[in-house]
Amino acid sequence: MAEPRITFTDVGKRYGKLWALRELNVAFHPGEVVMIIGPNGSGKTTLIKCLLGLVRPTTGSIAVNGEVIGTDPNYRRSIGYMPQISQFPAALTIGQLLDMMRDIRGLNDAVVDDRLINELGLDKQLDKRLSDLSGGTRQKVSAVLALRSKPEILVMDEPTAGLDPVSASKVLGHAAEVREQGGTVLITSHLMEEVEALADRIAYLEDGQLRFILPMDEILQSTGQQRLAKALPLLLERKLAAGMNV
Amino acid sequence: MLKVFKYTLIDLARNRFVLGYALLMLFVAEGLFFVEDDPAKALLSLVQVVMALVPLIALVFTIVYSYDSLEFTQLLAVQPIARRSILAGQLLALCTALLVAQGFGLGLPLIVHLPNLAALMLSLAGSGLVLVFTALGLLIALKQREKARGVGVGLTVWFLFVLVYDALLMALMFSFSDHPIEPYVVPLAALNPVDMGRILVMLQVDLAAMMGYSGAIYKHFFGSLGGIAVAAVVLLLWFFGPTLFSFRTFQRKDL
Repeated sequence: MAEPRITFTDVGKRYGKLWALRELNVAFHPGEVVMIIGPNGSGKTTLIKCLLGLVRPTTGSIAVNGEVIGTDPNYRRSIGYMPQISQFPAALTIGQLLDMMRDIRGLNDAVVDDRLINELGLDKQLDKRLSDLSGGTRQKVSAVLALRSKPEILVMDEPTAGLDPVSASKVLGHAAEVREQGGTVLITSHLMEEVEALADRIAYLEDGQLRFILPMDEILQSTGQQRLAKALPLLLERKLAAGMNV
Repeated sequence: MLKVFKYTLIDLARNRFVLGYALLMLFVAEGLFFVEDDPAKALLSLVQVVMALVPLIALVFTIVYSYDSLEFTQLLAVQPIARRSILAGQLLALCTALLVAQGFGLGLPLIVHLPNLAALMLSLAGSGLVLVFTALGLLIALKQREKARGVGVGLTVWFLFVLVYDALLMALMFSFSDHPIEPYVVPLAALNPVDMGRILVMLQVDLAAMMGYSGAIYKHFFGSLGGIAVAAVVLLLWFFGPTLFSFRTFQRKDL
């Protein structure tokens, strides 16, 4: 297998007395989509935020393409991020926001991928102010911002929440393209049905610890189920029975 | 930093609160010049309004704007851009927007009705207060996680600077009225940027004579170019102090 694109080594994050993430050791590879799941408060968002540099790990280190990330923001050039909640400066237009992000990332027109703007119907709304957009349209803008720079690493936090099924499918289609081009895609989602077709591996977090990370096929085969939503409870029951403290 | 500044300023230029602030200042300033026959008297009333209103508006607006743009700040923080550039761009844009609004609402009536040194000093003191309290507002927003708590802390800070500090100084002077404590009270007054702004303007309208012995000391110290330079340095320290703390806080903050 190729060298890992992202490596978490003994990563822990403590907020006050609470450890949101503990002793996380995991690697994510080029050309794969990993779905990160777990109950509320299990550490999914903290894992993502550590990778993005939004929070500093209390212990351990994270490496991207072999380089341990520190205060240098340049590693984020390779990352596209679609947050769960999209809030933008109210008085800017969609076009101005896209220009701003392009300027900040130092992209030129030859590099940016604007297909999704047209596919999601945003091309006719570029002059519309962000304050006038519905939640779903803001999510579309957020998806465009994440995918426009053709990222090597795509991080999506509940990407289909608030999107209509057609738009969700288009966004996930572009995420699949990132994988096909050798990118690494990390997705957290509660809507497993929408994302499971895309996932190569499933990482399950609970109480800030990674309980398992398994290939999707293996989970379905070992449980004899067709869908992740049914396979996952069975797998968790088995692991509990086997004393794996899940 | 300039990219964040540019687009934040575009956003702020269309912000209703900023436009409202400009119109409010214009309304108050024009109103005072309209009701007072003597423009110098209108200026004195305007000083009191500016010294109370400017810190309040700068503090509350900066705090509320910072909280409301938290998710967008997070989105900026995951781009290949240093956190100090994000904060510098946002702070510069906030200061610029409020200064332009104040220039329109306060500066314009002053130029029209009373183009003299006192009016210029009021404009400069007001601008200094915008910078100081915008920096303080940003620090408060970064230190407090909750918006309501942040606004509460901001209002408390405003209350302390505008009312409590003066009351304490008055109490001090009253308690030790038998002793010559003015030489000690003057530097204490200068520690409060609001008082300092007020003193600088008052000295230009020659009101020091009405302020007794304290006025004479103020005049002796702040009446000179050296004194004005010291005042400017103190105001700059009040701006750069909180700003440096903000940068340190933002650099380490979990977003």
